[in-house]
Amino acid sequence: MPTKNNPSSRLKWRTLALMVGLAIAVGLGTAWWAVRRTGSLGAQVGAWRVSTLAGGANADMYTRARVAVGGLLALNREETMYYLAQEDSQGRPLRARCTYRIFGQAPAARWWSITAYAQDYFLFDNPAKRYSFSSGNLKLDDQGRFSFVSAPQALVPVMETAGHAKASPPPSLGLTQSGSSGGGMDAWLPTPGDSGLLFTLRVYNPSPALAASPGQLNAPTIERQGVCS
Amino acid sequence: MKTQKMNREKNRDASRQFQHQRLWFYRLLVLAMIAAGVHFAVVWVVPRAIMQRVMDAQLGDQVAGVYFPPMTDASQRRIVMPSPDLLYALCTYDLSQQPLHIQANPQWPHYWSVALYASNSDNFMVLNDTQAAGQGLNWLLLGPQAYAQVPVLPPGAKQVFSPSQRGLLLMRVLVSNYEADRERVEAARRTLRCQN
Repeated sequence: MPTKNNPSSRLKWRTLALMVGLAIAVGLGTAWWAVRRTGSLGAQVGAWRVSTLAGGANADMYTRARVAVGGLLALNREETMYYLAQEDSQGRPLRARCTYRIFGQAPAARWWSITAYAQDYFLFDNPAKRYSFSSGNLKLDDQGRFSFVSAPQALVPVMETAGHAKASPPPSLGLTQSGSSGGGMDAWLPTPGDSGLLFTLRVYNPSPALAASPGQLNAPTIERQGVCS
Repeated sequence: MKTQKMNREKNRDASRQFQHQRLWFYRLLVLAMIAAGVHFAVVWVVPRAIMQRVMDAQLGDQVAGVYFPPMTDASQRRIVMPSPDLLYALCTYDLSQQPLHIQANPQWPHYWSVALYASNSDNFMVLNDTQAAGQGLNWLLLGPQAYAQVPVLPPGAKQVFSPSQRGLLLMRVLVSNYEADRERVEAARRTLRCQN
């Protein structure tokens, strides 16, 4: 009869403890992976992902956990829709050190904004204290399109020489008078450092059609400018 | 006779092997159940734990039960993905003993909203400036449980039921240029009252 004290029994207990530990580690690891995997959140619209359940009382446990980790205190979608981009329109991961031109049609909503966040989900520290552009401070062209640039530093000469061949962004629009940048050149959103980068498009009080079908958004294009390794 | 003995031994070996395999099957089943249990428990706990941490935190100056954090900038690192275009005001609530009377009437020409969040982070109620239509809001927030004394509804107040005893109220006020509008926007958000 094996007892706890004989070597064979001790080995069995050790093996059992090791396996239980492994099971707990697997449970923790898969939970953390599932919670951090924002790529599985909702529907893809161009470079952007949107969750129709974020903030709502009918959110499933995974959506609720992902929103708590990456965007706590979200509003329900009738009030606000949140679109997240972690890749550019060509599917490459966004990097703060790269220059991007973000352009497109203004969303059908009462108010909207695009904010840049570092990979830790917090704002980029910059002396200008400029963290976002919105319908309140971006100038639109006569077709209702906007355009701005995100980069670690203002790179006007690069913008002039980099080709914008693939899509047809509107001409440089700059900011309205309430913005802090001069008109005539692209509005610049600073993304200092070399971390990952993500953009959040917040659409406040979306049109009923957009609220009903978030995939109908005419998603802004995120186009990388120049060479960025 | 010899063949029979060999067959018996063979059967015994097969039976032993079967029992061994069955034991391992049950062991692996139990381990898979432990892993799944831990997985679901963590996913369930994460939003509640994060909300708990936020509700227990000191979120800024507190006046009449309301926190008034400064305008969001890069130094704000308590709540992920803060909006730099909004000025916030917050109340945390505990409805276990008595309901909460919430009032606000921001005179502000741009977007504002007041949203209520349960302890699991669900947004179960929101009212914005368009819906308020210049009337502000006047709510009596009640918990999911019965109270020892029937709560008295303040004049003009609407009853709102929270799915959890604890939770959080978040007021958002859209501000394009805080420095230029400081006086008016601060006055607007400071109309918020959260009183038991």
